[in-house]
Order: sequence, then C-alpha cells, then structure tokens
Amino acid sequence: MESNQLTVPVLIKRKRNGRINIRSGNKVDIVIKSTIWILALLTVMAFFFFDYTGLQWERAITETAYNLKVMFLEPALSHFSFSEAIHQVGITLGLGFLATILGAIIAFFLALMAAENLSKPIVSKIVRMLVAYIRAVPTVLWVLIFAIAAGLGSEAAVLGMLFHSVAYLVKAFSESFEEVNPGIIEALRATGSSWWHIVIHGVVPSTFTYMLSWTFLRFEINFSVAVAMGAAAGAGGIGFELFMASGFYFDLREVGFITYAILAIAVVLEIMSTRLKNRYFSNSANA
Amino acid sequence: MSLLQVEGLGKYYNQQTKVLKDINFEVESGEFISIIGPSGAGKSSLLRCINRMVDISEGHVVFDGEDVGSMKKSELRRLRTNIGMIFQHYNLVPRLTVIENVLHGRFGYKSTLQGVLGRFTEDEKEKAFELLGKLGIADHAYKRCDQLSGGQQQRVGICRALIQEPKLILCDEPIASLDPNSSKIIMDYLRKITNEMGITCLVNLHQVDVAKEYADRIIGLNKGEIVFDGPSNMLYEDRIESIYGIQKRELITV
Ligand SMILES: Nc1ncnc2c1ncn2[C@@H]1O[C@H](COP(=O)(O)OP(=O)(O)OP(=O)(O)O)[C@@H](O)[C@H]1O
Ligand SMILES: [Mg+2]
Repeated sequence: MESNQLTVPVLIKRKRNGRINIRSGNKVDIVIKSTIWILALLTVMAFFFFDYTGLQWERAITETAYNLKVMFLEPALSHFSFSEAIHQVGITLGLGFLATILGAIIAFFLALMAAENLSKPIVSKIVRMLVAYIRAVPTVLWVLIFAIAAGLGSEAAVLGMLFHSVAYLVKAFSESFEEVNPGIIEALRATGSSWWHIVIHGVVPSTFTYMLSWTFLRFEINFSVAVAMGAAAGAGGIGFELFMASGFYFDLREVGFITYAILAIAVVLEIMSTRLKNRYFSNSANA
Repeated sequence: MSLLQVEGLGKYYNQQTKVLKDINFEVESGEFISIIGPSGAGKSSLLRCINRMVDISEGHVVFDGEDVGSMKKSELRRLRTNIGMIFQHYNLVPRLTVIENVLHGRFGYKSTLQGVLGRFTEDEKEKAFELLGKLGIADHAYKRCDQLSGGQQQRVGICRALIQEPKLILCDEPIASLDPNSSKIIMDYLRKITNEMGITCLVNLHQVDVAKEYADRIIGLNKGEIVFDGPSNMLYEDRIESIYGIQKRELITV
C-alpha cells in the first residue's frame, strides 16, 4: 500500500478527511446534489406557509380513515351491474388498445425516418424535432385540443392518446433501430439490397422484440390514461363511471369497486408484460 | 480485358487526411490476391471503394468495363450483385435462420416488393442448400445464426456471397476473429472458390504467413500507398519490413 501511494500520489483524489474519493466530483454531480438539497428545503418550508385555518386534525384524520375503510373494505356496485362494469372496463381497454396499435403502426414508419442510420440527416432532424414537441405537451392537453374539432368524447380521447403514443414510440423505436449492428446493414447493402429490403429483413428482425415490448409498455400507459380520459374528457368507459361515482353520486363503495377493477387490470397487464419481457429479452441477451 | 482496374484511386474521409493515395493496379479474372498492411493503412477503405460502399474521391475504379465512380443507384445495385463481400464479424442477422441469411444474397436481383415479401424461387432455395452442403453446414440450415460458432457463421457469410453468383469476392479480414483451425478451414474454402468456380478473390489479411501461403499475388499497403505488388513468393523479408516499417521477427506471425 505504502509503495502504491508513493508511485501515484497525484492521481488519487482524497476527501477532506483523507479518505480516497472514488467519485470524479464533476459538475453534474454538484448540480444534482444541490438540486436535491434545494428541493428538500423548499418542501419543508412549504409546510410552514400552508393555510391551516379551519383544519381540525382529529376530524380530518378519522374521517379520511373512515372514507378509506368504506372505499376499500366495503366495495359494492349500486348504480350499475357487474356485467356493466366489465363492459365499461372493456371500453377503456379498447380505447387504450386502439390508440396503441394505430400509434405503433404510424410510429414504425416515422421511426424509420427518424433513425439516423436509415434516413437522411435533415429528415431525421425534422421528424425528431416534431416528435419531441408533440411529446412535450401532455396527453390530456392533446385530447382537449382535439376536442375542439371532434367534441369531447372517445374520438378526441383516442386521437389525443394516439398523438402522444406516436411521439413516444417514435423515440423508442428509432433508438432501437439505431442500435442495430451497422455491420448487418453494411452487409445487406453490399449484396445490392434496396433500402426496404434492409429495413424488413435486417432491421425489423433485429428489433422486433424491442418494438413489441415498447408497444406493450405504451399500452399499459394508455390504459391508465384512458381511465383518466373517461373522467376528464367524457370518453366513456370505466373512467367515466369512476368520475360519476365520486363526483356525482358521492358513492364511496362504488369508487372502491372501480378502483379494484382498474387495479386488477393493471396487475394482469403487468404480469403479461413481465412474461413478454422475460421471453424475448432473455433471448436477446443470448443473441 | 482485366476484370478490375484501379486507376489513380484516392480516398479521403475529411480534407486533412488522405486515406488512399494514387492507387493503381489491375486484377485479372481468377486471381487470388491478398492485401496486407498495418492497421489504418487503408485496406478496408480500398475494398469499400471497389463496390462503392464509400464514395470514391479521386481516380477511377473500372469493374468489368464499367466506371464504378459514376454509377447511379440502380446501376450500383447491379454492380453489387456481381461483387460479394465477406466481413470480419460475419455481419449476419443473428435472429434469423441460416438459410434466411444465405438467401439475403439474392436481394440484389429482386424488385422491392419481391424482396420485402421474401419471395424466393425454388431454384434459389435449392441453390442455397447446395451451397450450405458444399461448405459443410447443411445440418444447421434451420438454426438461428446466433447459435453457430464463429467459423460456422463465416461459412454462412461465404454462402451468402456465393449465392449472388459474383465475379469478384471482397474479404475484409475474414479470419481475424477465428482460431487457427477455423481460419484454415475458411482460407481453404476461399482458395477452393477461386480454383473451382473461377471467382476472383481479394482478401485483406493481417497474417503475412497466411497471405504468402494462400495468395498468388500480394499487394502491400502502407499509409494509403502501394509499397509492394507482386507474386507472393517475391515477398522477401525486406519487403515485409517496408510494408510494416519494422523487422519481420518483431511481428507476431501465425
Ligand atoms: N468512415 C470513416 N470516416 C472517417 N475516417 C475513416 C472512416 N473509415 C476509416 N477511416 C480512417 O481511414 C484510415 C484507414 O482506415 P481503414 O479501415 O481503411 O484501415 P485498415 O487498413 O482497414 O485498418 P485495419 O487493419 O485496422 O482494419 C484510418 O485512419 C481511419 O481512421
Ligand atoms: Mg480494416
């Protein structure tokens, strides 16, 4: 140890207490650390500035607890039947599914244009910028924008979700396209293959499982967005029922039931996507 | 007339560095030529100028009487069907089967739609199996390529080049990732291709001894210039020194 210290004394960075530092201590590190500290400080400070008049701690806590108990321990349906509930969940799933599938198809073609290894630099830049802009605006906002033309309802919801899904998937797809081994593309090019041959027989087989996983992940997202859209944009489905139960009938039991229904679907989707990933990504790890 | 004429070929990727300078040589049909030279000498660039995978900066490459440098897109595709290429890392599509990868060599002859739909004639498929048989990997035809060893993958690569029915095959360090035994198998096959099918081979190599053993003729490159061009038995120690810039005994040879 001693001799090591003698040979490379300059290279070793030490903390003030003399212990060896293994972080490089660069700018990024400092920025992240200070951001976290400032945010923590602001959060603590916020509690001192709240308006606490009229707040009765005891009542607030017991009643919230009671509400939660009713909601989650005594779920029941009163305004519609169980089969109706299934039907509504089906509608929500359908909305999410439609937006995802259409989105994936459109995104595939746009991603081909966005991938730097398959497209011209200028086309790639334009598509990327467009897509980044669309992604920056939240889905809900897109739904409301389309609601101007299509009216609030499922059409606007699907269009809005579609828009955002396309933007999201273009980024995901084009990044996986860009990771395709350039040698594969070169080899196909050298056989005299045309661009479409290379895409369909070189790029797609190499990225198919990634695209599938991303699409499924987006479906999970779209399902929860579709729930929210049912409530916020009157797109129908289980989200609308949830909105009615909570905001209209104040029926906590029904809210509880619907929450459980949504949770069940989310769990099923999660299990399916884990299965998919295990099947395909474990394969690709061997590849 | 010779199959390939390279006249005053120059190549630069950027203005500062010229990767190839005034390269001149001719290749007759049926020759087996090895290109040797230190890393960065421009061997790979030279091969890629011949089938114009990279653009030609100066001079001419004339293949089969046609100027490669001035070809348009469709002519270029036709040119590439006549020139097979083999790579150090095989460059197969790992998720696809061996037979699918071999048939990729036929895309140059297909219209976009035919190729996209993967329509291959029975003749083409039979030819593919025949080639796999010749290269001794017919057993693996339906396996995914990522399940094959390096030597087997390189043989698939050779099949993919051969099914193009090329006049010339360019090999960019075909044995650089293989053990000595697989290397010998691959070099034997390449030599056989030239001897039996009359297909011209241009092989980039890092191993001087392998080049001397297999090639009829050797082209030595150093810093983008040809410093040796002659029959392989004329490549004496002092010429090897001038190619690599050091004594031969300092080189690790296989
Ligand atoms: N696409 C490229 N863009 C810019 N420079 C390149 C490119 N390809 C090669 N070069 C440069 O050209 C020079 C020659 O490269 P080349 O790959 O032809 O050499 P090589 O003889 O094949 O070397 P090696 O034996 O290591 O494969 C190198 O200096 C390299 O940095
Ligand atoms: Mg090279």
